[in-house]
Amino acid sequence: MLLEVDHVSKAFGGVRAVADCSFAVQEGTITALIGPNGAGKTTAFNLISGILTPDSGRIKFAGNDITGLRPHKIARLGVGRTFQITRELGDLTVLENMVVGTARGTFRELLGRRVLAREEQQAMELLDFVGIARLADQKAKTLSYGQRKLLEFASVLMSRPRLVLLDEPAGGVNPALLDRIVDRIRTLNQTGITFLIVEHNMDMVMNLSDEVVVMAHGEVITQGPPTRIRSDDRVLDAYLGRV
Amino acid sequence: MTAPTDTTGVPARPRRRSSRGVVLGVVLLVAIALPFFRGLPAYNYVLQLGIVLFMWIAMTSSWNIVGGFAGYISLGHNVFYGIGGYLSGLLLVYAGWSPFATAVLAGLFCLALGVGFGLVTFRAHGPAFIISTIALLLMVTIFFDNWEFVGGSNGISMPLPPFPVEWIKVPFYYAMLVSAVGSVYLAYRIAHSKFGLGLRALAQDETKAEVAGIDTRRFKIAAFALSAFFVGVVGAVWAYSLSYLRPTIFFIIGVAANMVLMAIIGGRGTVAGPVVGAIVLIAVNELSVVLFGASELNIVVTGVILLGVLLFFPLGIVGTLREHGKLPAILDWD
Ligand SMILES: Nc1ncnc2c1ncn2[C@@H]1O[C@H](COP(=O)(O)OP(=O)(O)O)[C@@H](O)[C@H]1O
Ligand SMILES: [Mg+2]
Repeated sequence: MLLEVDHVSKAFGGVRAVADCSFAVQEGTITALIGPNGAGKTTAFNLISGILTPDSGRIKFAGNDITGLRPHKIARLGVGRTFQITRELGDLTVLENMVVGTARGTFRELLGRRVLAREEQQAMELLDFVGIARLADQKAKTLSYGQRKLLEFASVLMSRPRLVLLDEPAGGVNPALLDRIVDRIRTLNQTGITFLIVEHNMDMVMNLSDEVVVMAHGEVITQGPPTRIRSDDRVLDAYLGRV
Repeated sequence: MTAPTDTTGVPARPRRRSSRGVVLGVVLLVAIALPFFRGLPAYNYVLQLGIVLFMWIAMTSSWNIVGGFAGYISLGHNVFYGIGGYLSGLLLVYAGWSPFATAVLAGLFCLALGVGFGLVTFRAHGPAFIISTIALLLMVTIFFDNWEFVGGSNGISMPLPPFPVEWIKVPFYYAMLVSAVGSVYLAYRIAHSKFGLGLRALAQDETKAEVAGIDTRRFKIAAFALSAFFVGVVGAVWAYSLSYLRPTIFFIIGVAANMVLMAIIGGRGTVAGPVVGAIVLIAVNELSVVLFGASELNIVVTGVILLGVLLFFPLGIVGTLREHGKLPAILDWD
């Protein structure tokens, strides 16, 4: 298993956002994480990426215990993530947004050039891959909503992550863009990148994912292949609020 | 018309060039040559103005590394000014070492202090951070006010510099010039490095920067420490030029406030901003002294200028001009 979430809990005051949650993501798969609003999906992402520390439980990535590590450490181990509400750095250019993650390494590297030629090349290829290469020199704040989604998606690929967490990558984007995003995820998955995707669009979930994890009220209520999940009564109950 | 493409099919992007190096080189040469023109009218006044201007350029440019690039406003930055001054001053008084030699030591000491303070204080964000820097200033002030060995709040005098009186300003002038150039160069290097990119990223969204793989805590501490270095250096030089150490010279919050004002007027987070801000504020100050004498009117005029600038240049002079694409090439150092 590439990612193992093991009996993880997180409460905010009295709200148990994630409660004794366990699931695993197999390397090479596209796994969907679904559940009604407030189920705890984004909180789970925050726990995996290190933005939040679990109250209890362990999280393992590629065999390493990453519980409580700071986010940059987890990122460097090969976990990339996007945000449900995009968090591009508005005052930086699109290209600079792509390469911010390269601000690591030795003292010399840190004081070296802002954007190395090979980084620029890689960034431009990725921007081209998602179709926004022509925006490279624009400030990120000038981008449209859909373009921001694409930038966030492209920038997470810069560090060549093994696991990519996407928080509602298709939320609020038009159908043409949605097709593009689905296609790019599939292409990247074929090169070996593992995906864990929070998504509300059920068509997308069902035709893209190999495995589906269903959360409700902070708990994982079931996990399995999409065909089985589709006909699972508990999933329907969760979405219809009958739990 | 199509953009030229390389072998990967990704469009090549144009690069900017400019001849600002020539202009800046000439300005620097004039500054270097100035002390040789003894016949200048008001020679001593001009040199003193240079000393003060270069000192404020060095301080504001340094402050800008943490306050501008990293976005953490420090209102206690003059602790490094004072500690640099006291360290070099005491080494002169008790060991006879010239502050011109020990100023670098003072800077390094402040750099180390910056690391220590950064380790403690960067757990705080936003207003809490600002308050923690004020707290630092208060603590250091109380310490020096009560440290009898260095004269407490009365201070302690230092031996006068051993130079002929007609040349006395010259070494101070050059020391401050070197500090100003050094600190602007440091800021320039940072702005053009991955370190600077990381600082700008965390200034906008610390969580995002972390998730992108940046060790934000280490970056902030490094920024704070680097921003302390030249403040310590010019503190040492300034103390020697006054030949006197007293807490009220260094540790009043007005000194830190001046760094903030100059940076904001010039353009916080830009490389040229602190230089422009220092020039503008000192020019305004000198003019209003000439026009109104050394009175409270001075402060009023400064306040009005600040309001006016912020009204028309909300990102500071350099920042706003750049935002509108109107920044002259010789000031485009970012
Ligand atoms: N930082 C926070 N502080 C307080 N409550 C939070 C915080 N983040 C999430 N919650 C609460 O935790 C629950 C789960 O939220 P979230 O993980 O965002 O759900 P989802 O992404 O599945 O819609 C919700 O009840 C939400 O209000
Ligand atoms: Mg969510």
